Amino acid sequence: MADVDVLKITNLGKSYPGVQALKGVNLSFRKGEVHGLIGENGAGKSTLIKILAGVVKSDTGEVFVGGQSVEIKNSEDASQAGLCFIHQELNLVDYFNVMENIFLGHKYPHKIIPLIDWKVLKRKAEEILEQLQVKIPLKAPVSYLSAVDRAMVAIARGFAVSGEIYFMDEPATALTDIEKEKLFTVIENLKNQGKTVVYVSHNLDDVLRITDRITVMRDGTVVDCWPTGKMTRDSLISSMIGRNLESAFPGKNSNPGQIVFKAKGINNKHIHNINMEVHAGEILGIGGLVGSGRTELLELIFGVTSLTSGHMLLDEKDYKPASPKAAINKGIVLVPEERRKQGLVLDRSIYENISLMSLNHLAMTGFLDHKKLKKESEEAGRNVRLKTSNYSNHAGTLSGGNQQKVVFAKTVLKPPRMLMLDEPSKGVDVGARFEIYSIIRELAASGTAIIIVSSDFNEILGLADKILFIKEGKQTFIIKNNNMDQERYLNYCYGRAK
Amino acid sequence: MTVEKKQKKASNEFSAGKFIRTWGTLLGFILLLLIFTVIRPDVFPSGRNLKNVIEQVATLAIVASGVTVVMVTGDFDLSVGAIASLVGIVTAMLMKAGVNTPLSILIALLLGTGAGLINGVFIAYGGLSAFVGTLATMTAFSGVALLISGGTTLFGLPENFRFLGQGSLGIIPFSVLIMVAALLTVYTLLEQTTYGRRLYAIGGNAEVSFFSGIDTKKVRLMAFGISGFFAAIGGIVLTSRLYSAHPQAGSPFMLNAAAAVFLGMTAFREGEANLLGTLLGVLIMGVMGNGLNIMGINTYVQSILTGIIIILAVLLSSLAKKKA
Repeated sequence: MADVDVLKITNLGKSYPGVQALKGVNLSFRKGEVHGLIGENGAGKSTLIKILAGVVKSDTGEVFVGGQSVEIKNSEDASQAGLCFIHQELNLVDYFNVMENIFLGHKYPHKIIPLIDWKVLKRKAEEILEQLQVKIPLKAPVSYLSAVDRAMVAIARGFAVSGEIYFMDEPATALTDIEKEKLFTVIENLKNQGKTVVYVSHNLDDVLRITDRITVMRDGTVVDCWPTGKMTRDSLISSMIGRNLESAFPGKNSNPGQIVFKAKGINNKHIHNINMEVHAGEILGIGGLVGSGRTELLELIFGVTSLTSGHMLLDEKDYKPASPKAAINKGIVLVPEERRKQGLVLDRSIYENISLMSLNHLAMTGFLDHKKLKKESEEAGRNVRLKTSNYSNHAGTLSGGNQQKVVFAKTVLKPPRMLMLDEPSKGVDVGARFEIYSIIRELAASGTAIIIVSSDFNEILGLADKILFIKEGKQTFIIKNNNMDQERYLNYCYGRAK
Repeated sequence: MTVEKKQKKASNEFSAGKFIRTWGTLLGFILLLLIFTVIRPDVFPSGRNLKNVIEQVATLAIVASGVTVVMVTGDFDLSVGAIASLVGIVTAMLMKAGVNTPLSILIALLLGTGAGLINGVFIAYGGLSAFVGTLATMTAFSGVALLISGGTTLFGLPENFRFLGQGSLGIIPFSVLIMVAALLTVYTLLEQTTYGRRLYAIGGNAEVSFFSGIDTKKVRLMAFGISGFFAAIGGIVLTSRLYSAHPQAGSPFMLNAAAAVFLGMTAFREGEANLLGTLLGVLIMGVMGNGLNIMGINTYVQSILTGIIIILAVLLSSLAKKKA
């Protein structure tokens, strides 16, 4: 039974203007397996899923479900064929409540058409949430929910109709470890019911843990497809990027100078009594779980939110920014977590994006010198190894890694005193990650103080000189990053010390 | 079909689509000119008539320049017509009360800018949506104009006030010079200053702009102030041209200015308010009105046709966008 192909794809091809996104992909998924699908950004995973979901049409190729050739022209065809999708981006309607969002785009139950049978709807929504083992008030508008609960609602939506094959595209990025475990249990249950789960993720540890087989895509083709037991993290990485990666992190080389930033007993709604110091040339990692207050701490320092008590010092002078503008003027910059929402104006040119934060510095009179702007932006771009042929192209045309480099270029065009990074490698492919780590190292070596927040603990362990652990907005430990291993790191995150 | 062939085909489609998106509206305008020229070769292309068209659109172009600034940030300004009317009434009343003409104009300009800033405070700082905010102030400003004028047309303005709307320097009407100055100012503001860059950044993504250290509230507030300022200039020039002030004289600006900016968004740049586009939009509306008048077409039918043209232009450009 385990060897029956429930879904088979042959010679699937798709080209966009100037890009061949898929070059004749052949792939099959078996009944009752959890199948990992990985690859760098731009490898073709998203295009493949969009074709199966009926969002885009393929140029060539055929799709077989249960041995039958099917044509998927729209989302209805996809769900008819038993394909369910849980998307990476949270497409929720903010002012709809939880159960309305769960059924968004699905067929509503009716007693008498067109009246919606809210009782049945509610019961079904309850069942789905129960299956996911989460408690979320059904009638709350989703805008009131935490990021984690919103992600769970988006996942619940994928279960509103039952199918044979579930596609999950980065379902766990916004989840805490507890919710992630619940999701994995659900995946296990689906598998035991003989359903197939296709799990797409950049988190290789997760993929290695829960899948039975892994398919690796690169440049629009399938390069490898093996049982998970035969793969390791390293082999997956080399297969994804097509070469060996010597080491994931550049060597540490820090030589801390004087104190740049200091916080003494700072408090606000989310942050409670945190004390910290960051030296010139030092990388301070913030350890903690999703939702522990890491992003809130950075936003407080960046002037997005304000202090209720305590004080901050920058170069031994009082520092109390009323807005990001004030923080930037003082030399503290942030690479925000949500690149597409907070970091880049996607439909403006690359050079406009790079120069946006330093307009006052680049054009003191208020009038623009376009040539100078372009030149300085290009230089900043080169410094972060941005790969683009044309700085006048829209930032949205770049790959995830290059987009992140644009954000880096923008924040360091005018060298900052302190650089804060929130999830700097989120959605960045493996090859570009190493470059980003090197850039962070170089900035530190040039004397910039750096604070880094990441959910990928390897990143904190590989980069930070010192780690500040926080839990529920409170500081738990500050520890030098020597001989720290993953287990100790996680214990500290949970507030336990050995 | 081989892969290369396909790719080539795709890239051809892409550039054709791009061409239509960038230049389609301009081509449409040229077509419009040709059609009217063919139908009435004796009247339409004459120098006198074309001068007439430009004179007619001058006030709209001034007001629409200001509205472009607001629309670049993704906001909207429905109140410009009411501001223009109110400013016209106030200018007339001041002059009739014996205040000298330049001072009356200066006060009226400050009033218009102030009215725009009020919009900005409600919208940028108070968090009202631009649509609701300016709808409300439009109603209120119209009310004030009607109230203080007693709802009637004010005549008997000083002779030296005529020049703005009716005088000319050499062969060039003075109102057209004001229009050119307004267009140049707004063009420079949008394309050559850091302020313009910030406006476009906010229009692209307000949250990114905030995180990039832009005082988004202040920038939006100023945009509404600028829109009010240009609405005031439009109102004053219109009052001078009509040589009388009517409490609803500026009303048509509200929809016509928005329509011109929307038409302009289909030209030169993809879906973005831009000043050259706005100018093209204003010209299309002016030429349409003039040409249809010459052909003797009923004004009600003209309205219908204008509506259809706007829908077609926006529809075609969004279709071209989808195809790419």
